[in-house]
Formats: sequence, C-alpha cells, structure tokens
Amino acid sequence: MRGSSLLSECVAVLGKEVTAELRSRVALNAIGLFALTTLVAVAYQIGPYRIAEADRPHLLAALLWIILFFAATSGLSRVFVKEEDSHTAKTLRLAARPSAVFIGKYLFNLVLLLALYAIIVPLYCALMAYSVEGVAGLVLVLLTGAVALSATSTIVAAIIARASGSATLFAILTMPLVLPLLVIVIQGTRAAAASAELAAVLPALRGIVSLAGVTLITSVYLFPVVWHD
Amino acid sequence: MPIPESLIWVAAVTTVIWLGLFVYCIALDRRVRRLEEDQ
Amino acid sequence: MTRNVLRVCFPWVLGVWMVAVILAAFFYAPTAQGFKGESSRIVFFHVPQAWVAVLAFCVNLVASIRYLRGRDPLDDARATAAARLGLVFSVLATVTGSLFARVMWGSFWNWDPREVSIAILLLVYAAYFALREMVADEERRGTLSAAYAVLAFVTMPFLIFVVPRIYWSLHPDTIISASGQLKFEMESRMRQVFVGSLAGFTGLFVWLYTVEVRLARVRISRARREEV
Repeated sequence: MRGSSLLSECVAVLGKEVTAELRSRVALNAIGLFALTTLVAVAYQIGPYRIAEADRPHLLAALLWIILFFAATSGLSRVFVKEEDSHTAKTLRLAARPSAVFIGKYLFNLVLLLALYAIIVPLYCALMAYSVEGVAGLVLVLLTGAVALSATSTIVAAIIARASGSATLFAILTMPLVLPLLVIVIQGTRAAAASAELAAVLPALRGIVSLAGVTLITSVYLFPVVWHD
Repeated sequence: MPIPESLIWVAAVTTVIWLGLFVYCIALDRRVRRLEEDQ
Repeated sequence: MTRNVLRVCFPWVLGVWMVAVILAAFFYAPTAQGFKGESSRIVFFHVPQAWVAVLAFCVNLVASIRYLRGRDPLDDARATAAARLGLVFSVLATVTGSLFARVMWGSFWNWDPREVSIAILLLVYAAYFALREMVADEERRGTLSAAYAVLAFVTMPFLIFVVPRIYWSLHPDTIISASGQLKFEMESRMRQVFVGSLAGFTGLFVWLYTVEVRLARVRISRARREEV
C-alpha cells in the first residue's frame, strides 16, 4: 500500500468514485435533473424572444451560469458526506494518502462538472438562441471555470462532511468563495459570445486560472488538516 | 461655515450612540478585570 | 504596573478621541466637492469601518494559521474574537456605504465591485459563524473554521483586485462610480479628521479585541483548573 505512487493512488481513488457513481448515479441524477429542470423552466418562460436585444448579452451569460452553478451545488457536496454516511471514511484514510484522496475526489467532481457542461451548454444555446461568436473562447472559459469551481466545491465538501454534512451549510460556505469566480466567468462568457478572438477572453481566463491555481494549492495544504482529525 | 440644523441632530445622535456603546464596553472591561483578579 | 495604567487609561482616551472625531467630522471638516450636500462626511466613518473589517480578517487569518499549527485554544478564541468584530464592522461598512450610495446615486445598491467585496466579506464572516455553530467538538470546530478562514482569505484578493480589472477591460463605462472611491482631493482639515477617525476605529478594534481575548484566557485557565 505504501509503495504505491501518488499518481496511482489518485487514479485509484478516481476510479473508485466513478465506479461507485455509475452504480448508484446519485450525483448524476441530482445534477442532471436539477440542470434540466431549471433549463426547461428558463427556456419555457423566457425563450429566445422575450429578452430585449440590448439585454441579451448580459442576461444570457448570467442565466447560463446560474443554471450551471446551482446544479453544481446540488451535486458536488456529497462527495465526502457519502463516505461518512456509509462509514467507509476510516478505510479510505488508511488506504490512501490525503493528497491522493483529495485529488482523486477533485478529479471526480471535475469530470462530473464537465459532463454537465457538455450537455447543458449546447442545449442552452439552442433553446435560448444564444449565438456565440468565439466558441473556442467559450470552451476555454467553461474548462477553466470547471477546474476552479470543482476545487472550491471539493475542499468545502470536505469541511462540511466533518461538520454536519448538510447541503445548506455547503451552500452557505461555498457562496462567498465562489462569487468572485462567478463574476469573472460570466464576464468571460460574455466576451466569448461577443467576439471570435481569443484575446477577448484572455483577461477573464487569466483571472480564472489564477483563482483555480490558488484555490487548488491552498486546498491541497488544508485538506490533510480537515481530513485527519 | 453655516451648519445646517440637520447636521447638528445627526452629530448629536451619533455622539449619544457612541457614548452609550462606550459606557457598555467600559463596564465589560471592568468585569473582565475583576475576573482576572479573581484568578 | 505601567501596563495596568495603560490598560485603564486607553479606553478613556479612546472615548474622548472618538467624541472629538465625531464632532470634528460634522463641524470642523469641510465638505468635499463633487459630493451631494453633506454626504462626504460619511466617508470619515465608512472607510475606517471597512478598513477595520479587513484588519480583523487579517488578524483572524494569523490566529487561524497559528491554531492549525499548534492547536492552542487561545488562538481559536483569538480568531473568533477577530471574526466577531470583523462581522460587526463589515455590517457597519456595508450599511454606511449603502446609505452613501443612496444619497449620491439614488439607489441603495449599485453592484460596484468595491460595494460587492465588502458585502462578500460580510458573507464570509457569517459563513464562518454558521460553520462554527454546526460543530460540537471544540478542536474540530477550531480546525474547520480555521481552514475555512484560510481558504476565504486566499480568495478575497481576486474580488478586490482582479474583478475590477476585468470589468474595466470590457465595459469601462457601465459602472457609475469609479470603483466607489471618488478620488476627492482631501484638503488638510479633511485629512486630519480622516486620519483621526482611522486611528480611532483601529483603537476601538484593538481595545474590544483585547478585552475578548482576555476574557477567553480567563475562561480557558478556569476550565483547565477544573479539569485538574
């Protein structure tokens, strides 16, 4: 067990998460259903025609991210709580080193988010007639946004799992941390939608990447403290 | 400098609030000091 | 001996100082140009409150890191004391900022980055206490809230520094106020009152913080004695 490398342990944790998730599909259902329901509600009520032309860039970018963020909140919080609930937490502590546990679960949350984006974003663009000029830019914003959001969500999920594990506490703790990210990411989306040049999304990308980097590094340091206690 | 009457009121209210809070905090300080001396 | 004398005198000096600052803010300092009526006077209170809220955040960070290293319950008490004061002052700063926005621009909230960042600081403090409420075990409570405090601290600079830069590169004219910080020329009188108010509010924070920490120290040593 101790002879294994960090990389192999991360991959093992990730594999375990994916397998468990494919078996029970709890998080997938939560995220998917939430996202689809909100999307349908928004598309039905607002649709392509009911927003004034001048407001479209702002509102469409903001609405997209509201849907994505709230879906994420509903599904990403359980990644550590389920270990506590099923009493597998102690085994996991023995089986893998803390950084591997964190990175494995982080990657799992990231995969979950990317799957969510891959389905919801095209649907949204179709249903709301959101014409995006810079698709490459949008994809970059989505990718980096997922990296950052997953980081914050995973470490906060670890914290609340050791507290009460409630989803409300997860939302309360995540909200202030994720608001800067939300602002930057909406700006980036707006920039990508407006122009095909990659230079337009560069400021936002820089912000998101540095935020993601800082959060990840801090989380990797904080996680062992939260995990072992 | 002409002082509008409203300003005098706002200054007065602010000063009163501050004095009230201040007296409360002094009382707290006294209580903590008494606790420390009991140690 | 001198320490005790200082401890007794400091609050009274602070009290007199603050009354002087309040009176000076209303009667001694002139109003700034470009502001509506007397509204610039609120700056003497609003900015120091925001400053203290940030100062409290830094004190909380230091205490949190120390707690994570040494698990000394006194450090946890320090962190909590700083957070409590930070919460109070960030509420005050948000409220005064909002009142100012109402007078100057007609609406209580403008989504200006500066306004939003002080409100988010408020949310961080509130979340900090919500987290503490939910954990029963003392050591775990200290550890988790310290971890959250560190996490929040590294995220804050992005809101304060990075977001405004992104706003400007895309929409330089949408925001009404230039980051809520109207660059008014402070003439000497205003600067005097402003610095005086800053010193006063910092002194207030220092005093309240030390009182809370002293109280915590008494509680901890009493609890320790009861254990024996």
